[in-house]
Amino acid sequence: MKFLAVWVLLLSALLPVVAGLAGTVQLDTAAWSELFKTPGLVQSLTLSVWTGSVASVLALALAHVVLAAAVTGGWSGRLRAASLPLLATPHLAVGIGLTLVLAPSGLLLRFLSPWATGFTQPPDWATIQDPLGLALILGLVIKEAPFLLLALFAALGQVPAERLVLQTRTLGYGRLKGWLVAVAPLLQRQIRLPVAAVLVFGMTNVEMALPLGPRTPPPLALVLWQWFTSADLDMRPLAMAGSVLLMLASLGMLGLFMLAGRLVGRVWRFSAGSGRRVTSASGGLMPGGLAVVVGTLGLASIIALLLRSIAGPWRFPAVLPEHLDPAAWSSAASVLPGVAGLTLALGATTALLAVLLVLAAAEPLRSDAVLRQRVAMLLFVPLLIPQMSFLFGLQILLLKLRLDGTLAAVVWSHLVFALPYVWGLLAEARASLDPRFTDTARLLGAGRLRVWLTVTAPLLLRSTLLGLALAFGVSVAVYLPTLFAGGGRVATLATSAAAAMTAGDMRYAAAHGAAQALLPLTAFVAAVVLGRVVFRRRLGVPG
Amino acid sequence: MSGLVLQSVTVSVGARQLVGPLDLSVTPGQVVSILGPSGAGKSSLLAFLCGVLPPPLHAQGTVLLNGDNISNLPPEQRRLGILFQDDLLFPHLSVAGNLAFGLRSASNRRDRGRIISDALAGFGLAGYETRDPATLSGGERSRVALLRVLLSAPRAVLLDEPFSRLDPATRQTIRALTLAQLRARSLPALLVSHDVDDVVAAGGPVVRVGNA
Repeated sequence: MKFLAVWVLLLSALLPVVAGLAGTVQLDTAAWSELFKTPGLVQSLTLSVWTGSVASVLALALAHVVLAAAVTGGWSGRLRAASLPLLATPHLAVGIGLTLVLAPSGLLLRFLSPWATGFTQPPDWATIQDPLGLALILGLVIKEAPFLLLALFAALGQVPAERLVLQTRTLGYGRLKGWLVAVAPLLQRQIRLPVAAVLVFGMTNVEMALPLGPRTPPPLALVLWQWFTSADLDMRPLAMAGSVLLMLASLGMLGLFMLAGRLVGRVWRFSAGSGRRVTSASGGLMPGGLAVVVGTLGLASIIALLLRSIAGPWRFPAVLPEHLDPAAWSSAASVLPGVAGLTLALGATTALLAVLLVLAAAEPLRSDAVLRQRVAMLLFVPLLIPQMSFLFGLQILLLKLRLDGTLAAVVWSHLVFALPYVWGLLAEARASLDPRFTDTARLLGAGRLRVWLTVTAPLLLRSTLLGLALAFGVSVAVYLPTLFAGGGRVATLATSAAAAMTAGDMRYAAAHGAAQALLPLTAFVAAVVLGRVVFRRRLGVPG
Repeated sequence: MSGLVLQSVTVSVGARQLVGPLDLSVTPGQVVSILGPSGAGKSSLLAFLCGVLPPPLHAQGTVLLNGDNISNLPPEQRRLGILFQDDLLFPHLSVAGNLAFGLRSASNRRDRGRIISDALAGFGLAGYETRDPATLSGGERSRVALLRVLLSAPRAVLLDEPFSRLDPATRQTIRALTLAQLRARSLPALLVSHDVDDVVAAGGPVVRVGNA
């Protein structure tokens, strides 16, 4: 009874996944043999593995090196503040925006032309959707490095990083090497789940692969997405078999990553014993520069979205359009408010439910770190399975229950993806409240409910607001859950942007992508500002 | 029978007994000191008396307060006040808000405000009502914490090393103030401390727990 709220939380998160998997995983031998006859299948799968794993390794390495330089160089506060907006921006919006930056006729080459490149026409280069998937990898790194950075920041709270680095420096090590030897391994241990989620998402996403990924052939996730959404219903068994294959491949890569992690750890410990001191005065410059490049590309992609959505005629080397023409917005004006309103409503409902479920379940687990960690792992399960692998089965189940296309089904599917993040933030914030606050309050004569309302809730207000913004951001960002649980009939900013992208209407896609990026950003700013304003005269309230 | 009485109280972790069996009687106005090494279960004993002993710790025995068995009451009905080494003022409330949270007597808003202002003035904190606790000095925070406990009209007070974080000069002042207030109100009190000066100042019997 005491753990009722925990069970409700776990069931809300895992029921759709288990039911969906049961619906997707079917032993249809005909479909499997047809799947293996599909031309380009091996190339598609290889591309998925390649882009996903390279992007994950790069994002992880970047996050570690930049964090090391930032903490030892005293700019970690600014780094953290800069990571939040990038985390809040949806993959799809960044992906679409990045095509507008990187494409041969994109912002980047416009800035360099003709003075540096000599181009007066866009060159015939494959800078996006390139066969090697480099643009896709870059897009993933831009989104996942800030995410891993924030996971590292959260882990930092449990490691005496500054004292450890001071210790290594007094032993004669430079600050970067000192950090990488003494602190990074302790942090890495705590961010295994986020890294696993990044790897699986990288290998199996549609949001980034759709705008940036290769086309001949596309990564497997994109192939499956085309089959699932095809009007030809005979493609469905093929798509289901394919999504099981993708799941097996990503589970295999997860295992490989775990093994590689152990190996790196061993080499690491060995090299730490070599006693070689590396000191360089410019230790912070390179990581700082990389952080700026990644951040600038992320910011540029959002600016590109806004610019493209209101651009009139825009001849190639010109950096700015000749004049502005908000035609995309005015032609979108008939649908955009409705679509944005529905996105907002879905996001708000998801956020409210996620925060309530997490707060209720965090209460009985507040002093049990082991159980909290187990819940975190279970909540992460949906992020370790390709979304398609259970979403399609879920769609069939919803269809049978006549619940497909209902808003409740869509909210539930969003909840599955919001809960792991909200739990990570809010359950830990609850646990870190000194229990003597509530003990004192009760001894002063207040009952449980009054203590929760007057002491616990206000002290958690800032974390709760951030949790709301986080869940809202997830709901606005997700594409496949809306597509599948909504039965293709629920139009959010994400599905509209993806549809416009597929139809080749970049202006329309940019307008929806810009709106999709601005909603969660606004929510984050509102959460931070509101949390500051409410307790602006109370300096002791936890951040 | 008035005062705080412990009857064969034990505190254990699993099969390992930390404290007791302890029989103890604290009369009104008396401060009994509990001494013992770190980890001997002194704070756990206080947590048991408060009714907030966290698992895996568990305890047995009876606690009587002014003759009533309070062993099975929820914390908010025990009428025990506690002071920790951290003042634990609620950071989201003003000084007056903190005091009002604990204040038991008077129900109308104006009376409550007057009681709080008078109490603050009596402790040398006149005009501190709207202050943010985070902006107070250590000594001021200790005074507010003591006042918060006293205004909640406890029937006994538990002191868990409440002076140990203060600098030496402040420490003496706050200790004298606290002990004088407890005596003036004839409150029975239990003091957990490492500091011999605290125990001497308390002046009551000394109980040793653990193998010290």
